[in-house]
Amino acid sequence: MLRLNYTQKLFAYLLLIIYAVIIIFPFFVMIIDSFKTMSDLYLRPFSLPTSWIYQNYITAWETANIGTGYINSMIIAFSSVVIVVILSSMLAYAISRFRFPFYRQLFIYSLLGLALPANLAVIPIYILMNRLHLINTLLGLIIIYSSTGISFSTFLFKNFIDAVPLEIEESAKIDGASDLRIYGSIVLPLIKPAISVVAIVNFVGIWNDFFYPLIFINSQSKFTITLSVLTMFQGEYTTSWSLLFAGLSLSIIPMIIIFVSFSKQFIAGITQGAIK
Amino acid sequence: MRRKVKLRYLLIFILPSLGLYSLFVIYPIIGSLVISFYKWPGVGPMTFIGFDNFRSLFVGYFSSQLWNAFYHNIIFFFFTSILELGLGFFIALIIASNIKGGNYFKTIVYIPNMIPMVLVGFLWGLFLNPQIGFINEFLKIIGLGSLAQPWLGSMSLAFPTVIAVNIWRNLGFYVLVLLAAIINVPNELLEAAYIDGASAWNVVWKIIFPLSFATFRTLLLLLFIWSFNVFDIVYALEGAQAGPSGATDVLGTLFYRTAFGGLGSGATGMGLGAAVTVFIFAIIFPVSIIYVYSVEKRSSS
Repeated sequence: MLRLNYTQKLFAYLLLIIYAVIIIFPFFVMIIDSFKTMSDLYLRPFSLPTSWIYQNYITAWETANIGTGYINSMIIAFSSVVIVVILSSMLAYAISRFRFPFYRQLFIYSLLGLALPANLAVIPIYILMNRLHLINTLLGLIIIYSSTGISFSTFLFKNFIDAVPLEIEESAKIDGASDLRIYGSIVLPLIKPAISVVAIVNFVGIWNDFFYPLIFINSQSKFTITLSVLTMFQGEYTTSWSLLFAGLSLSIIPMIIIFVSFSKQFIAGITQGAIK
Repeated sequence: MRRKVKLRYLLIFILPSLGLYSLFVIYPIIGSLVISFYKWPGVGPMTFIGFDNFRSLFVGYFSSQLWNAFYHNIIFFFFTSILELGLGFFIALIIASNIKGGNYFKTIVYIPNMIPMVLVGFLWGLFLNPQIGFINEFLKIIGLGSLAQPWLGSMSLAFPTVIAVNIWRNLGFYVLVLLAAIINVPNELLEAAYIDGASAWNVVWKIIFPLSFATFRTLLLLLFIWSFNVFDIVYALEGAQAGPSGATDVLGTLFYRTAFGGLGSGATGMGLGAAVTVFIFAIIFPVSIIYVYSVEKRSSS
C-alpha cells in the first residue's frame, strides 16, 4: 500500500473532497432547480426553492412519457441481457472445451466486435432491419444489442470457464450426460459470478445507449428513456428549465440510487470487464 | 483437455451466437465498404459510382468538413488520453493509499458513468448556458464574473468544453480500472522499497507505474478506438450540426448528418455516409487488430 505522510494525506483528502464536490454539486443543482419556478431559478440559482413546486415532476413525467421510456428501456435491456448471457456462454463453452478445427480463429473472430465501433456500421444494419420489418420495433433493438454484446460476453465467459476444473464434466460425460445437459446443469451454476458481471455490464451499456434508438425508433410509444428526455429538449418546453431538470432527475436519479445500493457488485463487474 | 463433440452439438452451441454476430456486427462493416461505392439516397435504386464518394470526401466539396471533423477526433483523443489517464492514475493512487474512506470515493467517482452520456450532455448544456446556467452564476458569486463565458457558443471554447464534460462523465471509469491495476501490485515489493527508505514519489514511478503499464497500454488502445466513435456528447451539447460553425464537429456527427441528418450537411446520402464510416474503420483498424490480439493472447496464456 502506498504510504502517505501527514501533509500528503491532508493534501490527498483536500483533492478527493474537491473532486467529490465537482461530481455531486451538479446533481444538487439539478434537484433543487427541478422544484423551482422559472423566476426563482433565474434569480436565486443556488438557494433552496422559495416554494417547492412538485407539479414540475408530474408535468415532466407526462410530457416526456417517462413511464413509457422506462418500460421500453427495461424490456429491451432485460431481453437482450438474457439472450446475450445464453448465447455467449454457449459459444464460450464450445471455444473453451470442444475439440474442433479453427477454434482459436473462431475465438479471435468473435472478439473483433470488441474493437470495432459497431454503431458506425449502422447503414447496412438499417437496410437489414428495413427488410426484416424491424424498424421502429423494440425487437429490432433487442436483436442489435444481443448481437453487439456477444464479443465482450463471450470473452468474459471463456476466461471464466477456462478456470473451471474439468473433472466434474468428464465424469458426467462418462455417466452418459449430453453436452447440453452438462452445460445447463453443471457449467451454468458454476459460472454464476461471470453471469452477473456480463449481465451488469450489458445492462448498463444498453440502458445508456442513445445512438441505435435515435436511428431506429420514431414513434413515441416505443421511445427508450434517453429518447423520452430528448423530446423534452427539442419540444415546446426548451425554455421551461425547471421542467427539464425534473425530467432529467426522473431519468437519472433511480439509476444512481440503484448503483449506490449495489456499488460493490457494479464496481467488481466494471473492473473485471474492463481489464480484460 | 478438449473433448470430442458431435457435430450436431457443436453447431447447437456455436451457430445461434455466430449467426447473430456475423449478421449484425461483422456483415455491416463489410456492407458499409460495399455501399461506399454507390450513390444511394436511402430509398430507390443504388447506382455504382466507383470511388466518387471517396473523391468528394478527400479532395472534393466535402473534404473541408471531413478534415475538420478528423482534426477534432485527433484533438479529442489527445486530450482525453492525457487527462483521463493522468488524472485517473493520480486519483487512483490516492484512493489506493493509506487514507481512510477509499471505498466511499470509489462509489462517488463512478456515479457520472451510470448516466447515459446523452443525458450528461443535456444536463451540462443547461449548466453552461451563458445567461442563467449555474457555471457562470457561480463565477459571478465568487467574484470571477469576468471569466463568465458563452462556453458552448464560442468558437475557441466550445470543443474544450465538450472535452471537459466528457471527462467529468468518464473519469471514474479510468480511476477504477487503474485502481485495480495498482492494487494488483504485490505488496511485498512496496514494503521492501520502504525498508530501503524509498520515498512515495519513487515507489510510484519506480514500482507502481511500471507494473501498471499494461493497463495503461490497454486503456490507450481503447481510448483511441472510442475517440473515433464519439457522437452522443457532441450531439447533446451542440446538436447534429456540431456548432458553432462546425467547431465541435467530429466524424460521428458528420456521419450522422450525411447518412441520416437530411438538410444542412451540404451533401446527404447513404453512400457518402458509408464512405465516412470506411474512413473511420481504416484509421482504427490497425489499433483494433493490436487490441484484439493482445486480448486473445492474455486469455490463452
